[in-house]
Amino acid sequence: MYKFFNIWFFFSLLVSIFVIIPIITVFTSFFEETSNYYELLKNTFLIEYIFNSSVLLICVLVLTFIIGTSSAYLVSFFDFPFSNFFKWALILSFAVPPYIYAYSLTAFFENYGTAYTILKNLFGEGNYNQHIPKFDGMLGAILSISFSLFAYVYILARASFLYQSQSLIDLGKNLGFSKFESFYKIVLPAARPAIVAGLSLVAMETLAEFGAVDFFSINTLTTGIYNSWIAFDDLAFANRISFFLLLFIFALFILENFSRKNARYHFNSRGGFKQKEKIKLIGNKSLYAFSYCFLIFFFSFLFPLLQMMYWTIKFPENLFNLEIFELLTNTLYIVILSSSVLILFSLISNYGNRVSKNKVLNVLSTLSISGYAIPGVILAIAFISFIAWFDNSIIKSLGFDSIKKVFIGSILGLVLVYFIRFYSLAFNGIKSGYEKINISVDESAYLLGYSKRKTFMNIHIPFLRNSLLFIIILISLEIIRELPITLILRPFNFETFATTAYISASEDLLEAAAVPSLFLILIASLFIIISSKYILRENDE
Amino acid sequence: MSKNFFEVKNVDFKVGGKTKVANVSFAIENEGDIICLLGPSGIGKTTILRTIAGLEKIERGTIELKGNVLSSNQKNVEPENRNISLAFQENSLFPHYTVEKNILLGADRNKDKKEKNLNFQEIIDLLDISVILNKFPHEISAGEAQRASLARSLITNPDLLLLDEPLSNVDQSFKEEIQEKLKKILKSSKITTIIVTHDSYEAFYLGSKCGIILNQELKQFDDPYNVYHLPNSIEVVNFLNRGILIPAEVTSPKSLENKDLGTITGNFNKPFPIGSKVKLLVQPEDLHHDDQSNLKFEVIDRKFRGTNFIYTLKTPSNLLIPVFVHSHHIHQHEENEKFGIKRPIHIDHIVCF
Repeated sequence: MYKFFNIWFFFSLLVSIFVIIPIITVFTSFFEETSNYYELLKNTFLIEYIFNSSVLLICVLVLTFIIGTSSAYLVSFFDFPFSNFFKWALILSFAVPPYIYAYSLTAFFENYGTAYTILKNLFGEGNYNQHIPKFDGMLGAILSISFSLFAYVYILARASFLYQSQSLIDLGKNLGFSKFESFYKIVLPAARPAIVAGLSLVAMETLAEFGAVDFFSINTLTTGIYNSWIAFDDLAFANRISFFLLLFIFALFILENFSRKNARYHFNSRGGFKQKEKIKLIGNKSLYAFSYCFLIFFFSFLFPLLQMMYWTIKFPENLFNLEIFELLTNTLYIVILSSSVLILFSLISNYGNRVSKNKVLNVLSTLSISGYAIPGVILAIAFISFIAWFDNSIIKSLGFDSIKKVFIGSILGLVLVYFIRFYSLAFNGIKSGYEKINISVDESAYLLGYSKRKTFMNIHIPFLRNSLLFIIILISLEIIRELPITLILRPFNFETFATTAYISASEDLLEAAAVPSLFLILIASLFIIISSKYILRENDE
Repeated sequence: MSKNFFEVKNVDFKVGGKTKVANVSFAIENEGDIICLLGPSGIGKTTILRTIAGLEKIERGTIELKGNVLSSNQKNVEPENRNISLAFQENSLFPHYTVEKNILLGADRNKDKKEKNLNFQEIIDLLDISVILNKFPHEISAGEAQRASLARSLITNPDLLLLDEPLSNVDQSFKEEIQEKLKKILKSSKITTIIVTHDSYEAFYLGSKCGIILNQELKQFDDPYNVYHLPNSIEVVNFLNRGILIPAEVTSPKSLENKDLGTITGNFNKPFPIGSKVKLLVQPEDLHHDDQSNLKFEVIDRKFRGTNFIYTLKTPSNLLIPVFVHSHHIHQHEENEKFGIKRPIHIDHIVCF
């Protein structure tokens, strides 16, 4: 038994308990008193919340599947003009969070919006507004989320296509399949687990989406949670709605884990793998492939970027009114602080798992990475609920001063919740780096006289360097885009690009939201470009 | 204190709480000796090496090197403090360093040691890996990785070198050459070595002693000649698979009788009472071909092994007896033909169970 109770065990236990607090808080909320608002909602809006969330989820899944898989297929199997450019350009859509896409969509298509201005400049004054389609409400939310998130499907499907051996394609030819039949009968089924994994991520993000649905005033479970807290000050009810949302999420989490395990079967080992030869497209086919990919690139990235740039140029006063430097330092401050904490703890946890080979530790680690499945809104509100309970029931009863201010509305609280949310990103990233180091490498080091510390410093860290860099960029990207946690838990007067954009947009000042949105897109794009090689697994090619 | 250079006494070798090989005792008397551990895959040979290297702990018995206890249920010297080198069967090179850097990391271990048995260039030449020195582990073949790993272990100048299937991924054409060079260099540099292998020819060639591990036990630990000609159990005979056991009756202190082969004379490895029913080990080289003999059996199979043929003969009692014949023998026998066995049959070492 003594083997269990070492420093690694306690460390992992601590992290796991910490990460699991929001889940426990949500579940215990069922035993708490709530306001009348619950009774009112239970019979009315709750059904609407669930219905809207389901419609949103299904439509986004269908759209991201079509866009993600088709574009991944084109760039993986065919050679056409700019196909190498589109290969990484299509992931730039990650730089545009759904809420910024939503602002762009509205800004462009609204009455007297950008589309109107373009038509007016081209054809003179006219009654164009009635002819310009309106992408708001549910349709707007579906489009915003789909164009922002399709890259999850694109990246995983492409990686899976990439690992499909030429032998598999040759087999299709040998069986007399046409290109379409090969795609439909061989390529797609073989990539299915990867595509399902991508769709599961899209689904979790869609259910967790707050900014875009709030902007389009759609009542979903996420906005329901936020409103019950902000408008009715009813944390217990917010947690009850969270419970329903978590049920959705856990079902998806299980599905995602299940499909991810299957996906391993499709990664060929060195021996049997035969590099694919891309088919060179010529003539009209080449033009169609280029146009298709360009349209996706345009709508997912260029369109919101150009819209935000247009407004920034059109209303330059917003640029000067904004404390850009302060927003930048605030954003970088939480990014650096959070990623340092995440990397440090994930490294310790992973190293502990590796050296102790303890099964209980493995289970604890699996528990502690569940945070990524929980929407930011739930995490933030559950965290507040927990701190409030802890403060009232324990701290105050022991006669100490309230600790609420230390954790709520503070950088510490913000970093702690980011930690729960993004721990899996850091932990799994380092874990997959570690999986590439055979355990006999460690043992060889010991046998060469290296201590555990020296093995860690001289063997592990240099090997993990690239993975760590990639994880830091990925975490930074997520934190820059993150909205609900920052919005709910940030200290008073502490704004980031995301919160500034949200606040301006929620006050119907879309022009003012353009500047922070533009900066957010540019910084995120920079991070994506730096890390594109890793995201696309080019190093494995 | 043991007078042996290295000694394993009554050790249960375990991995993950499960006993792989129990109550093992063997010793290496002199520094520079090479011993081989032979056994089928998954039997626990690697576990023995890992435990000796300090990567697994023991709860029973002791492991001593140069008179110092390395492992017991009271004590466990950490792997980094044992000066024992283990070359793993799988690729254990540091993936982010070149082959050269990997090998030089091994040299760092005993850089302060005055007496150097082997230098870098010698090892590179021995293992013929000069062309891969600047490559990374993922850029070389499994056989090359194995040789690079071996080089790294050799250069550490260890007190005890442990080699886990060191040549399993090396091409057959190159294998014998490396075996010869390896043996020569280990002997000349006096590096005490334990080699684990499932290739009995490799074990018989490299080891001055061979241990046979079967059914969770070290069945026999002896010099290769004895292991081959005087196996101490039916399990060892079956494992080496170089002969068959036929029923016979002991007729005198120097002879026995088989229904198909008739009288067989020779020296028993251990005494049996006259009249005992025994199982006699007949190895391919125990019987000699003679076309003139009236003791003839039907050929049912013939295996060409380059230097020799192994004929399988079927006796009237349906025994399948292997017979060794030099491949330059004047004529060959086809299947279904009759094949003569020289009489009287005399076997130098009569092994019975």
